[in-house]
Amino acid sequence: MATHLVSVLNGLAMGSLLFAIALGLSLVFGMMDVLNLAHGAVYLVGAYVAVALVSDGAGVAAFVLAVLAAAAAGAVLGALLAALTRATTHHLDQALLTLGVALVVAEALSLAFGNDVHSIAAPEPVGGGVTVLGETYPVYRLLVIGFGVVLAVAVYVLVERSPLGSVIRATVADRAMVAALGINTGRVLVGVFAAGAALAAVGGVLAGPILGAQPGLDEKVLLLALVVVVIGGLGSVRGALLGAVLIGQVQALGTALLPEYASFLVFGAMALVLLLRPAGLLPARTGVHA
Amino acid sequence: MGVVSVFSPTRTIAGLAVGAMLLTGCGSSLDESSGSKAEGGKSGGAVKIGLLVPLSGVYAPIGEDLRAGFQLYLDQHDGKLGGREVDLKTADEGEGPQTGVPAAQKLVTQDQVSAVAGVVNSATALGLRDFFDESKKPLLIANAGADDITGARKSQYVWRTSFSNGDVSAALGPAVAEEVKGKVYLIAADYAAGKEMVAGFRKTFEAAGGKVAGEKYTPFGKTQDFQPYLSAIRKSGADAVFAFYAGAEAVNFVKQYKQFGLSGKTSLYGTGFLTEGGALAAQGTAAVGVKTSLHYSTELDSASNKKFVDAYQNAAKKPPTVYAVQGYDTAAVLDKALAEASGDSGDALVKALAKVGSIDSPRGAWKFDSDQNAEQQFYLREVKSSGGTAVNSVVGELD
Amino acid sequence: MKAEAEAMRGDTGAPQDTTTSVLEPLRSGPGAYLPGRRRAVVAVAVVALLAAAPLVLSPYPVSAMTRMLAFAVLVIGVDLLTGVTGLPSLGQAAYFGVGAYTAVLVGVHITPDAMVQALAGLVMGLVAAAVTGWVAVRARGIVFLMLTLAIGESVHQVADTWSAVGGSNGLAGMPPISLFGGPSLLAAGFVYWWVLAVAALVFAAVALVVSSPYGRTLRGIRDNEARMRALGYRPALARYGVFCLAGAVAGVGGALWAQQARFVSPGDMGFEVAALALLSVVIGGAGSLWGPCLGAALVLFVRDSLSASIGGHGPLVLGAVFIAVVFLMPRGLAGLTGTRARLRNLTSARRRKENAS
Repeated sequence: MATHLVSVLNGLAMGSLLFAIALGLSLVFGMMDVLNLAHGAVYLVGAYVAVALVSDGAGVAAFVLAVLAAAAAGAVLGALLAALTRATTHHLDQALLTLGVALVVAEALSLAFGNDVHSIAAPEPVGGGVTVLGETYPVYRLLVIGFGVVLAVAVYVLVERSPLGSVIRATVADRAMVAALGINTGRVLVGVFAAGAALAAVGGVLAGPILGAQPGLDEKVLLLALVVVVIGGLGSVRGALLGAVLIGQVQALGTALLPEYASFLVFGAMALVLLLRPAGLLPARTGVHA
Repeated sequence: MGVVSVFSPTRTIAGLAVGAMLLTGCGSSLDESSGSKAEGGKSGGAVKIGLLVPLSGVYAPIGEDLRAGFQLYLDQHDGKLGGREVDLKTADEGEGPQTGVPAAQKLVTQDQVSAVAGVVNSATALGLRDFFDESKKPLLIANAGADDITGARKSQYVWRTSFSNGDVSAALGPAVAEEVKGKVYLIAADYAAGKEMVAGFRKTFEAAGGKVAGEKYTPFGKTQDFQPYLSAIRKSGADAVFAFYAGAEAVNFVKQYKQFGLSGKTSLYGTGFLTEGGALAAQGTAAVGVKTSLHYSTELDSASNKKFVDAYQNAAKKPPTVYAVQGYDTAAVLDKALAEASGDSGDALVKALAKVGSIDSPRGAWKFDSDQNAEQQFYLREVKSSGGTAVNSVVGELD
Repeated sequence: MKAEAEAMRGDTGAPQDTTTSVLEPLRSGPGAYLPGRRRAVVAVAVVALLAAAPLVLSPYPVSAMTRMLAFAVLVIGVDLLTGVTGLPSLGQAAYFGVGAYTAVLVGVHITPDAMVQALAGLVMGLVAAAVTGWVAVRARGIVFLMLTLAIGESVHQVADTWSAVGGSNGLAGMPPISLFGGPSLLAAGFVYWWVLAVAALVFAAVALVVSSPYGRTLRGIRDNEARMRALGYRPALARYGVFCLAGAVAGVGGALWAQQARFVSPGDMGFEVAALALLSVVIGGAGSLWGPCLGAALVLFVRDSLSASIGGHGPLVLGAVFIAVVFLMPRGLAGLTGTRARLRNLTSARRRKENAS
């Protein structure tokens, strides 16, 4: 039993990271129907920023610097993608465009950093382990869970309780109506796109000490984020949180309980949810509103 | 709504014509034996060799090392093999047969190479077997480890300078049975190579009296977090673990093995790919203490290895790997075979390959066995920290 | 339309672009007004030109074109779903793979007869699609995309780990194909002709379906499902039907693919194949049949022929091509045809939007 509780803990850590990554994807889709397939590449940019700035045995300062730098790089990429995808209103074309950007960015990263696997050290003070339920558990992962909780609360306050949040929610629900009220929805869209991408890039730094950085990681992360987004409900903040926690647990606890079926678990869970609730667990209309 | 278009006149024709021209090449393609027309005749002129290694995708690091090793041998011999100028055609193998097979076909039928060397992916190697067998061109496998390549599906045109999966792990079995008092847990990536590695180990390990605590396969290329498996290992009460992973999975497995507190309590064994090259560099000191079997280590104490390590370090600006040695040796094999061969035809080369005898390699002398697979010494290696960097120091030889 | 968007994500939709459903293609094919006879002449000319290729080209280009044709068959099936019915699929590679494995198993164990293998591939592709399709056809848009992805990845995973079909090493040792009990077709040119003949047949058959009343029903579902339902059609059943049909087409494509490679491995049904097939449709112009075929040729050319000779930077070129297509050819390769067709295309798109809102 204790063994499985450790898996639950681990699922929460993965869920926290997935929430950070999937949130931007979900909001961008909810607001402008853009399926941003470059989201994984943005994540990978963040991971490589950490490779460049965080060396073995680096302290907290270097790590914080990497988080800030990744956020900046992610925001710039996000704004760029927002501008690019406005070139066409056709959804398949937008998806194709973002995929093209993803391939180019990934290739640029592999030219700059090589094709080898890179690992990123957790900051020195939290690099060790503590005993949880009789098993050694990395302190860093506990911090990631803490980050997830803080992020969830911050996003809740921002989206559900602030004036800016009401504009964002309204834009997801009915963009034309918001525009008719005289609000510059274009600026809101670019802002959300940039913020979402920045969050994904920060996710890349934070996931660094757990997943490292290597070519191809972008696709795996994108796939998981997409699963989280459709399970939760497109455009829904609470849905993204629920989806992330669920997929985190499916991956950790599910694998612990059913190791033989590990490779089918994530997609099986997704198919099950979508069969029962085709619009996701917390669709945007109920999910975004408080 | 209108009828959905089916044909458009000029564009289609123009497009197809352009496509055909882009592909270039002329002549007919109705001959039975594809591409074995230009025989190149006698020895003496330049010889075309195809190098088929992954330059993109997950295996790209292995491909780069293979190529660097092959190139180093060429550079050390004035660009010549068997005394003949080499016209090296490099092609990208990609991640699997979908890209690797067409690339090999292009080398043989379009570029008209006399032999192809390389191939990292086992499925690609097996998928190419019939093509080379029918084209009567030699294929020198410089990495792909599937047992079948020189086993059930062997061909007189397919030679392997690297290893077969089962051999690498089988060499480790008796040593682990001797060192570990209790039970051993077996874990590997869930694909053909993982299963062959575990099967090879299990056979010799159990034959030597070892006891298995459990056997688990993890989704290949999809497992990033090994915690559930590591907990299962702890729960099984195993005294040691045998693992097969490579690349990113090797890095994550070894690092998490330490993070979750198993290293130090439960000793970790594996085939050398677990702690080789880029993976070891990324694992760093987390890998210290891991013991593996492989046919090479940079730390081998021999004159020819020291010379090789220095030369490679100079050329590639990083230490060599087993893949670099395999590339280097493949060039050495071709060197000997071309010197021996009475022409460029596949059959002449194959005859010469049978006579190359012992290859003096950085890994130690080795030769082809009757299945045209490398017959070689395996070493027991242990990761040690040497001045901050982790290296695979050689503990001893395995029989 | 609105109902569909609502079902998907509870969106009321803004007038400028969200009235169309997510990922729903806006293209109807240009060149649709070619008179029937001229169309037949063009078709014969294209097939004749393609058929002449082995006489003048050397084996490698011919085998490359064989692969393009087999892949184009898969792409036609994807287009049937994505372009005609508005269901973007990432799962067709699964049925393509089922067809390929079937052909190799038939080739190894039963007969080298190419026709039997292709038929077996068709049947198994159809069966596999029928068994798994009901999960997917209830959904639309991105949910459909993700469900088909889940099907595709699960089937791929089975092939990758099931040792009875060779696991990740794949199935090798398929003897060369033969026809009508004749000699083995070893030369690249003969295999090409066989693949070309089948591909042309599939193309014609799908073109027939598309222009039939059933095809009109499918496009009706794509453009306005609620209205189709109101008119007494059963969209769910029609979607299930086209999903099975597309599965059968993919199965044939897979069989052809296996016949030229004489080998099959799990990668043949992997995510990459599914994604490239969908991208070929988008690049070519969803809804047109010949555009996606050209898209298939372009994508395979970049991946196989170009990537090998530029040091493994194929993905970079592919990415650049995707971006360029969106900016330079907003209607895909099919959109390159005459201005008249483009104008028609635009007006029909506009009309559809008006209908929808």
